[in-house]
Amino acid sequence: MPILEIKNAELSIDNKKILKGLSLSVNEGETHAIMGPNGSGKSTLSYMLAGRDGYELDNGSITFDNIDLTLLSPDERSNLGLFLAFQYPVELPGVSSTNFLREIFNSRKKYLGENELSHLDFIKYLRKVAENLSIKDEMLKRYVNFGFSGGEKKRFEILQMALLNPKISVLDETDSGLDVDALKIVSEGVNNLKDKKNAVVVITHYQRLLDYIKPDIVHIMSDGKIIKSGDADLALYVEKNGYSEILNEKS
Amino acid sequence: MKKARNDQFFSNLEKFVNKVYPNQPQRQPYLSLKSWPSPRDEAWKFSRLGKLARKNILPLNLENQQDFSINKLIKDSISLVFVNGKFEKKLSDKLLSEIVIEEVQIEDFKDIIKKFDNLSVKNHPTLNSTLSCSQKFFKIKFKNDIKFYKPIEIFNLGGSENTSIHPFIFIDLEKNADAQVFQHYSTYAGLLAPFEIINLSENSNLEIIKIYDDKINSHNLSLTLSVIKEEANLRSFALIKGGEFTRSEMHTLLEGEYSNADINGIYLSSGNQHHDLTSCVYHNVPNCKSSQIVKGVLGEESTAVFQGKVRVEKLAQKTEAKQMSRAIMLSDKAVSNSKPELEIYADDVICGHGATVGELDEDQIFYLSSRGISKQKSKVILIDAFLNEMISLSISDKFHDIIYNETKTKINKLLANEYE
Repeated sequence: MPILEIKNAELSIDNKKILKGLSLSVNEGETHAIMGPNGSGKSTLSYMLAGRDGYELDNGSITFDNIDLTLLSPDERSNLGLFLAFQYPVELPGVSSTNFLREIFNSRKKYLGENELSHLDFIKYLRKVAENLSIKDEMLKRYVNFGFSGGEKKRFEILQMALLNPKISVLDETDSGLDVDALKIVSEGVNNLKDKKNAVVVITHYQRLLDYIKPDIVHIMSDGKIIKSGDADLALYVEKNGYSEILNEKS
Repeated sequence: MKKARNDQFFSNLEKFVNKVYPNQPQRQPYLSLKSWPSPRDEAWKFSRLGKLARKNILPLNLENQQDFSINKLIKDSISLVFVNGKFEKKLSDKLLSEIVIEEVQIEDFKDIIKKFDNLSVKNHPTLNSTLSCSQKFFKIKFKNDIKFYKPIEIFNLGGSENTSIHPFIFIDLEKNADAQVFQHYSTYAGLLAPFEIINLSENSNLEIIKIYDDKINSHNLSLTLSVIKEEANLRSFALIKGGEFTRSEMHTLLEGEYSNADINGIYLSSGNQHHDLTSCVYHNVPNCKSSQIVKGVLGEESTAVFQGKVRVEKLAQKTEAKQMSRAIMLSDKAVSNSKPELEIYADDVICGHGATVGELDEDQIFYLSSRGISKQKSKVILIDAFLNEMISLSISDKFHDIIYNETKTKINKLLANEYE
């Protein structure tokens, strides 16, 4: 039974077709990688899933746990258990990181019908989770993403993922702007959260992230569609030979 | 000659002054102003007084007094209560010996007024009406070297729809004195014309927080003239949320080297309210700093104005002056005007200014929503953040939460009405 099922998704932005019949099915426990050249529609896919205004489907369907996702707002999708790690996390000057994390943590707890944590209990829990991602207290005292380095921003995304404990996480170019050490920390964070009940979709340009987050299935995306799927070796093949050969083979 | 329709208040004022203070010629010069500023007057172009001019207002006869109670914001503050513009000793707390409240005459502060030799001050309706008809002129003096950490809370109360009230206060800090003052404007007056003079002697520090929360039919034309001496520091913050029309106008003269003035503010405007923060800072000597930073949130059909002027005289080298205004519009019927002016005659200065007006940032709302926070709650968080940053920047940490709470009800109201 797939957690996420996208069927023939078509989507335009400013009257330009970006997704042209994309289908993807992700089961519990799986890690998928979506690779593709610039402009193939990868980030559009992630915004479409998260429910950003202006990224509504022209045709096709998206279901999440058998629920029609297209009817839901971004916050409802998040509460259901869908998480998007942003390629460019948004700065929120004036919003304290700790308060923000507590707010999102408790809002998910509330949705799940679980008890919210008191301020003190939350702080203890947060410290523990943050430590695993090498996030220092000092960073949590700053405003959300404000003045964070590239690596700090990405770690902060994974910290949110850990607190929300989503059923499916979409990581949009999480490797961009990371050095090798940061890449390891982020990947370990993701791997630690992975279990048989949830799923991860990694969107990336490069194979290098997939050395750390091992995909079960690799998809190649081009011109708004998935044109080829395979196992982890497909990513290695692309790394070695580039996209052009696969693209040519298709046309 | 036919009188213009807006002369009525000023002829009422003249009759009042001649009747109540027949033997006080020092008031007479301030009766020469005969009409409200017109929209052709550059200083009042964006804040028009037509509606005030049409109000039938009489200066308040001080005979009829009611009882008033006050709500202090700070538990251990010392309150000074002005009802209908008159100081009420019995409603006020006792002062300590280092702080003196005394009656003064116009002669005692005339020289300070003279320093502001420009028409927008000279012809200001508050300066003229309040000096001609305020019952008494009070000065609060903070004596030499006093480091006083109990804030003073001044309450301006009273008034009614068809009356004007005219409180006057002269805040005088002697050398090395430190003081914190809250000014509450919570009247029912058709017109409230509070006139304040601030004198900061060498190396003194004043933090003044003004909360404008008059009732919905009020016009408040607040005017403050400040003179700052060497190494003295003025930290002024205005929170405007009440009244039908509120203008907080501050003229600040830096006349001692290494002095500093922060003239910041927040306005929160709803319904048909009009809010105006007007500030002029005059750098007359070298090595001084100033900032004029204003943020606002506007809903429904409200309008707001920020007029910030910095004048740097030729002598005032090494001036650092910062000016910035930002407004968030929650309604497309609201209007925000921003008029920054820099007049710089010195060549070695750092002056910056900027103004932005816009809706809440869609990227930020989406980011918060994608974490499970509803769109409505996301807006609350972003407006809170917008204001919080400003409050942190402008006032002492110990007052932060108090002022933040003062914004809260109004913000909730603004967001609730957005969805009606």
